Amino acid sequence: MPNHKFSRRDFARRVALASAATLVPASVLTNPDLAPTAARQFAPNAPPLPPASQTEADARTQSILAQYGSRLSDQQKTEIARLSNNQQRQLDILRAYSVQNGDDPALYLKPLMEREKKPAPTNPAATSTAKPAQAAPAPAAPKPKS
Amino acid sequence: MPATSQELHFLAISELAARIQSKKLSPVDLAKHFLDRSEKLGPRFNAYARLTPELALEQAEAAQKEIARGHYRGPLHGIPYAAKDLLATKGMPTTWGAKPYADQVFDYDAAVIEHLRRVGAVLIGKAAMIELAGGMGYRYASASLQGEAKNPWNTQCWTCGSSSGSGAVVAAGLAAFAIGTETWGSIVCPSSFCGVSGLRPTYGRVSRFGAMSLCFSLDKIGPMCRTADDCARVFSAIAGHDIRDRGTVPIDKAAFTFSPSLDLKARPLKIGWLTNAWKQVDPEVERVSKAAHATIRKLFAGTRDTTLPTGPWEEAASFIVAVECAASFRDLIRSGRVSELNDSLGQIAGYVNQELPASDYLQALKIRQILQKKMDKVFETYDVLVAPTLPVTASALDANIENIFSGGDPFGAIGNLCGFPALSVPCGFTSKNLPVGLNFVAKAGDDLAVIIAARTFQQHTDFHRRHPKL
Repeated sequence: MPNHKFSRRDFARRVALASAATLVPASVLTNPDLAPTAARQFAPNAPPLPPASQTEADARTQSILAQYGSRLSDQQKTEIARLSNNQQRQLDILRAYSVQNGDDPALYLKPLMEREKKPAPTNPAATSTAKPAQAAPAPAAPKPKS
Repeated sequence: MPATSQELHFLAISELAARIQSKKLSPVDLAKHFLDRSEKLGPRFNAYARLTPELALEQAEAAQKEIARGHYRGPLHGIPYAAKDLLATKGMPTTWGAKPYADQVFDYDAAVIEHLRRVGAVLIGKAAMIELAGGMGYRYASASLQGEAKNPWNTQCWTCGSSSGSGAVVAAGLAAFAIGTETWGSIVCPSSFCGVSGLRPTYGRVSRFGAMSLCFSLDKIGPMCRTADDCARVFSAIAGHDIRDRGTVPIDKAAFTFSPSLDLKARPLKIGWLTNAWKQVDPEVERVSKAAHATIRKLFAGTRDTTLPTGPWEEAASFIVAVECAASFRDLIRSGRVSELNDSLGQIAGYVNQELPASDYLQALKIRQILQKKMDKVFETYDVLVAPTLPVTASALDANIENIFSGGDPFGAIGNLCGFPALSVPCGFTSKNLPVGLNFVAKAGDDLAVIIAARTFQQHTDFHRRHPKL
């Protein structure tokens, strides 16, 4: 069942869109569909974004225009809309990739080097004696579904 | 017919070093030779941001005196080189290839410049580059304070970027080697387009202290030379831990020692030839790379075809580049001075990148970690993965880069996301006499494997000995 309620986030987004309207190129104001249409003109083979993704990309565009619109030409504003759309496609792909709660982000890239890997246990008995006798079983490490 | 490597300016470091050590060649004469050539030919290719003749002659004279006294520092002593203009050099402009930084002067040297001074190398100039190493995005070769870098093999073609000047310098024989940097493709692409050998070291093996920061988790510094052997020599001089760069790996893993007498057969390498590195390959590149494939199979017994794991690696890499770059140049973006960049894309892309959500950046970093583990498995089977460096040859100077590289670059994305070493060497020429590159990639820390593989390839081929006729 469709949910017609606006979340606070949706509300804030709409306020931002409204407040930024004066910074949007005139051509966009007269036709609310023009930003994505313009984007498709630059990338004719790209399929249209799903509505939710388009809303998100548009919100980012409007945020940029609200902050920096006065220093941008109409052509640059249209180009920014296209770039936001392209970024959104990447975002959608990244978000669709399954990661688990326990997957660590490579916050600071540490190349995986041979000598840094923990040596595999050669003697199972020795490994088990290294653990506390009453230790609870460790939770299985989450594995990426990929 | 292309020129041969018998001319002084096309000699490999090992050959120049032998002459210098035996006092048959004076470092001062050599520096003057390269300076004269750079003054004459450099502007033809927009190869340099600036020449440094006074410093070069001072360093060359010092080298000459030391060698005369019997103090020979090693194979780079008295060897002239150029450094990409994003490496700080004390007391002279370091422009980062971009107008907003045209007058920027540091009062210290980058770590790489320090290292090379210590081994007696002679800095003859700062190589031109794409503005801000391309971090703000660019569509055209003209995205540089120094103008479009022209390819010595055909001046109607580009050198590729962002180490555009470094590629031109080495290909045209304007210096014995050059230093480039790579965040994603900026060493291997110009090496391929310009027909030179370029090493992208493992992330963290070369200190980036004093280098322009583009993407802290992806930036690497490496040599561009005439041969894989030369790359190894320069790499051994610049590799090492540095407390001033927190990205450098520990001392024992950063240092690199190279012996030219290395027995190439002492370590048999398991080679995987990648069949899915590129979605589409230019027919001429395909022809050349097929021949290279046959050579590789002959040289390395048990070479097998293999594939890269599939996943959103390019998206993750693009996203990380976009966010880290926006953070690196936050002030430039917010001040509006990005409008001073040459490229129309560079003038606005920072605004878009600044808006990207932090949670998605972390998602990209999680994907990066997953990829590292997947690739670790690949390297349990293979020591080195090989593929054409690029699916195309040097593009026209006025071409829109977005169209040339529209086919994606999973191999580049994976290699750079995981910090793997790569070495691109020329593996043939098209009917229009444009070089084609072959890329060797190994697991992190195993820079020696790519050097051995590329060196073996070059011992059995002569593409690296061909040079443009200027």
